[in-house]
Amino acid sequence: MSQSLRPYLSCVRSTLTAALSLSNFASQASERHNVPEIEAASSPEVLLNPLIVSRNQEERVLVEPSINSVRVSIRIKQADEIEHILVHKFTRFLTQRAEAFFILRRKATPGYDISFLITNYHTEEMLKHKLVDFIIQFMEEVDKEISEMKLFAFFAPTTHQNDIEKG
Amino acid sequence: MAAINWRTINIDALDPESATNFDLSTLTPAVQPVSTADVQTLSGQIRQLLRGGDSEGALKGALENAPYGADEAGKAIHLATVTEILQNIRQAEMTPILQRMYKSDGGSEMCDTLMKYLYKGMAQGAPTGSESRTNAASGRNITPQATGFTQAGGRNFGGAEGGSQAMSVLLSWHEKLVELAGAGSIVRVMSDRRTV
Repeated sequence: MSQSLRPYLSCVRSTLTAALSLSNFASQASERHNVPEIEAASSPEVLLNPLIVSRNQEERVLVEPSINSVRVSIRIKQADEIEHILVHKFTRFLTQRAEAFFILRRKATPGYDISFLITNYHTEEMLKHKLVDFIIQFMEEVDKEISEMKLFAFFAPTTHQNDIEKG
Repeated sequence: MAAINWRTINIDALDPESATNFDLSTLTPAVQPVSTADVQTLSGQIRQLLRGGDSEGALKGALENAPYGADEAGKAIHLATVTEILQNIRQAEMTPILQRMYKSDGGSEMCDTLMKYLYKGMAQGAPTGSESRTNAASGRNITPQATGFTQAGGRNFGGAEGGSQAMSVLLSWHEKLVELAGAGSIVRVMSDRRTV
């Protein structure tokens, strides 16, 4: 792990651990509804201050806590346009399968590449530290994944050419 | 007369009794308004301490006198001052300074204020909402033709490492502060309505 990645991830970890103290909270706007307050934004008093953790200008995490839900948005490192396309394809692949990931949000917040929405139901069903671990692991893996895909995108034509020349 | 689609009107916003119109000022503790000139004078005094080599005193002074009542310009000046102090303190001195600060009178509050400044410092340079989408139209588009299918917004490349030095200073401060003050300090940053 690179030198500056470790403090970044540990900062995200402690921020998420602090933000993930959620309780059940029914909607104040309509009776017998229970919605994530950070999405509905119908009661300003239950929204907390959003926190941003950033590693540099291009890599950062936005944590928006509220009483019963936390929205975590990640901006993934993209050094050039190939990585930009790869990140877009990759996050699109994931968000189209969002229901398999439970906490994944179908659409990222503007300015970020992928968003998670964790509600109190998730923290009741799943272990909090595992949820935090999942997001940290995702952030670790996604950079590796993207650079691997980028290498493959560069070398795929060469490999195919070799195959053709061999006959 | 159908200029406005009445189905999209948020009627909760028009009802003074609804939760949407909760008066947030009732939750905010009263803070004294501070003028930008005062913040400027304060930051001058703190910089003098810093030049004298007393970085710990400068940090304490800056955190004890956080201008909660100042406007955005005043807060930005104070943030710049705090960031400058933090960058002036060497890695090895961080933990001893924090420990001394934490043990002193009102140390817990000072640590919370420092945590607020760390997060605010990291939030610097983040675009406000839709800014990253707009440069798609300004030439740096992925597809040469407007196909209408791509949802990939444009993005500036090359500036990726910008500010990473400043951020890594803030990140290591954050790590040391969490070790000392715990996650409760982060919770207080999230829930305190007095922002820096």
